[in-house]
Amino acid sequence: MKESPEKPVSYTIALLGNPNSGKSSLFNLLTGLRQKTGNFPGVTVDKKIGALPLDAGQQAVLIDFPGAYSLYPNAQDERIVVQTLLDVNSPNYPDAAIYVADTTKLEKHLLLFSQLKDLGIPLLLALNMADVVEEEGIEINTAQLERQLGAPVVLISGRSGAGLETLRTKLSELLAQPNPVPETKPFHTLQGVELKVAGVVKSVLAGVNDYQALLVAHHCQWLPFLSDHQRFVIGNAVAESGFQSLHLQVNETMRRYDRFTPIVRNNLRAPDTKTDGLTANLDRVLTNRFVGPIIFLSVMLLVFWSIFKWAETPMGWIESGIGALSETLKTALPAGWLTDLLTDGILAGLAGIIVFVPQIAILFLLISILEEVGYMARAAFLFDRLMQFFGLNGRSVVALISSGACAIPAIMSTRTIGNWKERLITIMVTPFISCSARLPVYIVLVGFVVADPESQALAFMGLYLLGIVGALVAALVFKLVLKTGESSFLLLELPPYRLPVLRNVGFTVWEKVKTFLLEAGKVILLLSIILWALASYSFPGKMGAAEAQARTEAISIAADSLTTEDLIAERQLEASFAGQLGKAIEPAFRPLGFDWKMSLGILSSFAAREVFVGTMSIIYGLKSKSDADAEAEDYPYLRERLQAETRNGEMVYNRATAASLLIFYVFAMMCMSTLAVVKRETKSWKWPIIQFVFMTGTAYVASLVVYQLLN
Amino acid sequence: MTAALLSDKRLASLPEGEKGIIKAFCDDSAGSKLVSVGILPGSFVELVRKAPLGGGWYVKVDGQTFALRQEEATCIVIE
Repeated sequence: MKESPEKPVSYTIALLGNPNSGKSSLFNLLTGLRQKTGNFPGVTVDKKIGALPLDAGQQAVLIDFPGAYSLYPNAQDERIVVQTLLDVNSPNYPDAAIYVADTTKLEKHLLLFSQLKDLGIPLLLALNMADVVEEEGIEINTAQLERQLGAPVVLISGRSGAGLETLRTKLSELLAQPNPVPETKPFHTLQGVELKVAGVVKSVLAGVNDYQALLVAHHCQWLPFLSDHQRFVIGNAVAESGFQSLHLQVNETMRRYDRFTPIVRNNLRAPDTKTDGLTANLDRVLTNRFVGPIIFLSVMLLVFWSIFKWAETPMGWIESGIGALSETLKTALPAGWLTDLLTDGILAGLAGIIVFVPQIAILFLLISILEEVGYMARAAFLFDRLMQFFGLNGRSVVALISSGACAIPAIMSTRTIGNWKERLITIMVTPFISCSARLPVYIVLVGFVVADPESQALAFMGLYLLGIVGALVAALVFKLVLKTGESSFLLLELPPYRLPVLRNVGFTVWEKVKTFLLEAGKVILLLSIILWALASYSFPGKMGAAEAQARTEAISIAADSLTTEDLIAERQLEASFAGQLGKAIEPAFRPLGFDWKMSLGILSSFAAREVFVGTMSIIYGLKSKSDADAEAEDYPYLRERLQAETRNGEMVYNRATAASLLIFYVFAMMCMSTLAVVKRETKSWKWPIIQFVFMTGTAYVASLVVYQLLN
Repeated sequence: MTAALLSDKRLASLPEGEKGIIKAFCDDSAGSKLVSVGILPGSFVELVRKAPLGGGWYVKVDGQTFALRQEEATCIVIE
């Protein structure tokens, strides 16, 4: 509790529960739009926090913890829960916790509750699924349950929002109590070797109770807040006293079930008629070994088809909107470098990312619906064996699909994969899947490779397939290279199918789009300005010299005024800082068929792929000021520009060059944000560096081969 | 929990649709993971179906459904 004289009391409340307990629904209901995403210290596991309005005079911040089954973690996201709740000095250490449990599975959902109780955290038990409880005619003796579990109990519905007022009132009451943890018998009493080791832990770690001490002993090898000395002392005690961690874990867990199972059975009466018929029937088809994979592939095709189909119209609106805005600004503002920067630099760059918003929103909408419904777990089940062949896990399927939108959330979703090697491989190969940032590059260039619309659609599919093949082949390579003795497992709960809660889907989409716009927007804004400046300026005198040279050239070929303008712009661009930079790196990309302008586009793309189109718009937009009515942001316009680009009378964007560029974008690692996330998730620069070299090397070789074959 | 013997019947050897009661796990490493999600000795278990290519075991334990790998299914001793 953080108290200061002038401020009202502010509490930190943890929201905890098993996966699939309806925790996120409750979080969205309780905090609404007052939520934001942060990170737990040192890891990228999302920490969602939100203001929780309570009674007058009380303020609370609600932290949504990752779903966990037990304080003996099987994966990275469960570890977060453990390391935060064992560290009383952590800024996220809660004053109290709301524990969400699925009432229909209460017998299984109280394990973590009983552990938290023994940690001494004041708890409020929120029994979720009040609607289902009523439907199925489950009877609950709440008063007796409260007494026997030693915590207030509230019946709520994360779907309808029923019971939230009672939950707030009871939480306020719990916080107002001077001694909020009732003296009840612990669920687990330490015995023998446990007591002995816990005693050692207490001697080096002040202020921990029995169960905290025991857990610290179990997890002393990885808990980040322990000092080297503490780790050494506790580690020694564990090794010397014959403390068999795994065996003790199993025994403790079994004893806990033995304690609370009778309590649940005495206070919860469910009629025998289980209504899981729908799930069983659906799964008979959806997880069928023959039909299941076919349905899965059809669903994926439908998802990607929808992205293209539904996004078309809003993308058109955005493009024409920005084009109109750019025109308005150009006419309204006085001509000069500031207006140029605003329209040709910033606006052109931003337009390049805002047009993705519809596609990203649709992709996340569909993926989060599939997730909410419970289908993603089935996909993991269906493809686990196949994924194992490639050194991956069934859960990797979720990451690979999500990376069709963006590799960053996809990489973050791998934290549910318990095995380090499988998780690492998933992280390493996920960026091979064509993300939405590659789309505009594909859209602009694919027309140069094949002309008619049908072939273009096929070519699009081919590019996506190429990404998938790249990911799987790379996974195989990593599987053979990496060695581990760690056992791998699937152990995945298949929750009953449920209608998606639209509120949850909406929040997910909103959050992803917002993050994308802010994160990508920052990079692109900065790069656009830099690029515009580089393309507009040069060493003193160079620009003037370029203009003079262009004029001489124009006279010699007897060009009209428009061609002269173009020629001047062209020569000036060549003379600019950007031109010189592009020419300096051109030799490296020459074998792939790229000229200095493309090289410049690729160089800027290493910040983020979507910059390519913006860069090209800036480079080719600057070329001529005579097309006042042209919309530099428009794809068709850019395509025309590229088409008109000739060298020695031949099209620069010929088939071989365009194909080579496309292949380069399929494979190359061109996203600083992804590399940063990989670094944080793997906790070393080694893996992002390997990833960068591996992917970009593949891209270079593949493009070289394609260009040399087609040219 | 009784220790598992090689001669014991394993979940992995059941035909689809067969039911049983969990008796023990082959080792503590798998056991600790299984008990944390509520797959316990004494639980009713049914092998509902198998996924393609010989992997993925769709099992139902006390009314809850899980996906297991062959290794995990082999580790569950039933009676």
